[in-house]
Formats: sequence, structure tokens, C-alpha cells
Amino acid sequence: MLVLGYVGLIAGCGGIGLIIAARIKRRPQELREFLTALALLDTEIVWGATPLPEAFATLEERLEKPWQGFFAELKERLLNGESAAVAWKGAIRSQKGQFALNKEDWLVVQDVGKGLGQSDRQQQHKQLELVQRQLTLLQEQAGAWAEKQGKMWSYLGFLCGLAVVIILV
Amino acid sequence: MLLHVNSSLPFEWIKIAHWFGGNLSRIFAHTSRISAADIEEIRLRIGQPLLLQGCKGDIFLNASGNPCRQKEAYYITHEDLALTLERLTQSSLYAAEEKLKQGFLTLPGGHRVGVVGEAVLRGREIQTLKHISALNFRLAREIRGRARELIPYLLKPDGELCHTLILSAPRAGKTTLLRDLICFLSSGVPELGLRGQTLGVVDERGELAGMHQGIPTYDLGPRTDILDGCPKAIGMSMLVRSMAPQIIAVDELGHVDDVQALTDAIRTGVKILATAHASSREEALERPTLAGLFKEQVFSRIVLLNREQGPGTIAGVYDTLNGRNLYTRTE
Repeated sequence: MLVLGYVGLIAGCGGIGLIIAARIKRRPQELREFLTALALLDTEIVWGATPLPEAFATLEERLEKPWQGFFAELKERLLNGESAAVAWKGAIRSQKGQFALNKEDWLVVQDVGKGLGQSDRQQQHKQLELVQRQLTLLQEQAGAWAEKQGKMWSYLGFLCGLAVVIILV
Repeated sequence: MLLHVNSSLPFEWIKIAHWFGGNLSRIFAHTSRISAADIEEIRLRIGQPLLLQGCKGDIFLNASGNPCRQKEAYYITHEDLALTLERLTQSSLYAAEEKLKQGFLTLPGGHRVGVVGEAVLRGREIQTLKHISALNFRLAREIRGRARELIPYLLKPDGELCHTLILSAPRAGKTTLLRDLICFLSSGVPELGLRGQTLGVVDERGELAGMHQGIPTYDLGPRTDILDGCPKAIGMSMLVRSMAPQIIAVDELGHVDDVQALTDAIRTGVKILATAHASSREEALERPTLAGLFKEQVFSRIVLLNREQGPGTIAGVYDTLNGRNLYTRTE
């Protein structure tokens, strides 16, 4: 019975470690997906002159969760008459919990909303290009960081469980 | 005898309020003492009172949405205009670039919003407008039935449509009448022995069909193909090549390129149904682009509209080939 308890403790701690590791690994994936979203948005704006609600509907179709939900909410907010800047801020506020992004990432994401849709196509392109450059840098850093941290947390959970068991024994 | 049928789309202030941002949206949502159907234009000018214009004259609105004297009116702010423009363009100013260059936006339903501000020039061409200072909402009307009475005057004895030009001063109902005519010709009028015709419409300003994402707001009939947002001069030849129309309908002829494209289209055998700005035939003759068409007798029917009994009053129908008045409105 006691042995079973020890095994359970190690498995529990290991499980928590694996969850944290998975969350860490999601961050670069989400940043990559957002980069794809910005490239698509850029194409819709520059080549299609597509109004934002339509462009967001296209992104909703093309992207995976959680960005799918983010752009779906943005589209709805715009159709309900909110301005792009207000809608962008609102969507971040309500969708933040679905993401594994950190504070620094959100600052860059927030920047996209400033001036979105409020200038000509050329200007919009420049603005989106700038954010894409910043994000590429962030994504590279996040990739290397996630690789190390992810591995560490995958083992750390089990090791902590083991340490507790040893202490108890 | 031509009848003056006056029916219009059911306008509601609550729907109109959605076009506006900030305080204006709230003001229009509370407007109830004026019928929206009586209003033809809504004028917003920064620092000036909120003004409605319609068949019953000018009306100023106060902050509660009620009619008032000028000094008690709500005065338009820069923020009102900026937020309204954001709503009109769905926060996508870049998507409205081309329209802004021409000085107007078109809303779903064919309503036109005139825009003025500071022009940004590249060479001699307007690149865009900035520091927008005034907006003029022109509410489109759908008046059905008047064209039915007009059609017999526009047909030859063999039932073929004559090349027809509708003339009127601005705000006298040209577009509305043209829309009605298109619908009747496309559907056919069995009582007159008129079978449905294939029509091609070049809707350069998006007012005739009120297209929104490929779907027309107004019914232009079952045999009508609509080319939306395309310059008339290009659109007419595109339609002739691609959709084989029997009749081509265009709104607001005026540019020399339009006239050239129109004469080219006529050579292929299509009939033309068009409108142009001019309050009389004499005024039209003074305009170089239209004068050429008159001289060559391109149009065999001229329909003249005025506002004597409201927008779209048919003042007369002329047969230019025989120099006869086919119809003249009497009191």
C-alpha cells in the first residue's frame, strides 16, 4: 500500500512537470502561428484590400486554436461596431488565458492593434513587417529557451517526486 | 398618364445609428420625433450643427436627438467624425482608399457618403484625403412602380428598347428610376408584350445594386448581371464581351471615356439605358461630352426628371429623332 502511495506521488509530480513542459513548448508554436497569421493578414491587406472583418474571418478559417478563437472574437467585435484598436485590446484581454505566451510576447502582440486599419496599404504593410521582424526574433529565442526548459521540467517533476519519496522513506 | 408612386424603404433611426460612432450613434438611436423616411441627407461638418435635410426642409438635431433651433443643436466634433469614419470603413481605411480618392464611400444598401478634407496629391492626382472635415450621408430610396408607366414611351413599335438617357439635376431621383427600369426590363412586362431582357449593369459607384460582398441589396431582376465598382468605360466593353447583354445600364455618364465606350458598345448592337446630370436638355447640350451624343442622335429618348412632386417626378419624355414631346407633366 505504501509502495503504491510512493509510486503515485512520483507519477503525480512527474505529471505536473510534464504539463509545465508542454506549456513551455507551446509558446514558440503559438508565436510561429501568429507569424503566419500576420503574413496572411499582410497579404489580405496589401493585395486584396480586404476589410478587416473579412480578413479576420479568413484567418479564423486558416489557423489552429487558440489563434482561431482570437481572430473569431476580433471579427465579431468589429462587426458589432468596435474600432480595430479597441477590439484588439478587448480580444487580448478575454483570450489571454488560452495562450502560453509571456508578458514580453503580449507587448509585441498588442503593438499590432495600434494603428491597424488606420492608414493606406503601404503604411499597413510597413507596420506589419516591423512586428513580424520583432516576432521572428522572439520566436527564435523562445525556441531555444523552450528546448532547454521543456526538457528540464519533463525530468524535474519525476525527480522531485523521487526526492520526496526518499525523504519520506 | 404617368403616376407619381411614392413608396420607400422602411428606414429606421436605430439602423441608421449603426453607421455613426461616439455621441452621434446615441443621438440617432434616440431620434423619434422625425420620420427617417422624410430625410434625404445627413450633414456632418466639424464645429457645425448636426443637420438633416429632406423634403420638409432643414432640421437641426440636439444632443437628445430631437429637432431644435440652430443654437441649441448638437455641434459635431473631430472625434465624432473620426469614429464615424472608422465605423463606415469597418476600421479598414486602406480598403476604402480608391473610393476616398473619388470623394465618397458607398454603404450596404447603396447609400452614398460624400467625404471632404485635405487632398494629398501625387503629381496632379489625388492620392488620398486626410484631415476629413465633413461627411454627407445621402440616403438611397427604393421607389417601385414608376418605371412601369414610363416603359411604353421608351419602346419602339417592334417592342425593342430605344437608347434612353435620363436627365436631372442632383437629388432628383435618377438612380432610383434607373434601378426601377432595370428591374422591369429584366423581369419583362407581359401586359405590354415585353419579354424579359438580359441586362448588364456597370455599377461604378455601387449605388444601383447596393452590392455587399457579392450580393445585391436591391432587386435588379432575374436577367441582370452586375459589374460592381468598375469604371464605366472599362465595364461596358467587359460586359459586352463576357455576358452578351441586350441592354447595358450605367449611371451618371459624364467622362469623355464613358462616351467613347458607350458608342463602341452601341456598335455591337446593345441598347443603352443611362443617366446624366443636367436639369434640362439645353443644359445637357452645353456639356461637351453630352453634346456630342445629342448631335449624333445616339439617344432616341430623353427622360427629364425634377423634384416638383418629390424626387423622381417625371417632367417629360422626348423623342429626339422626331423632335416630339411624348409626355409632358401637367399640374
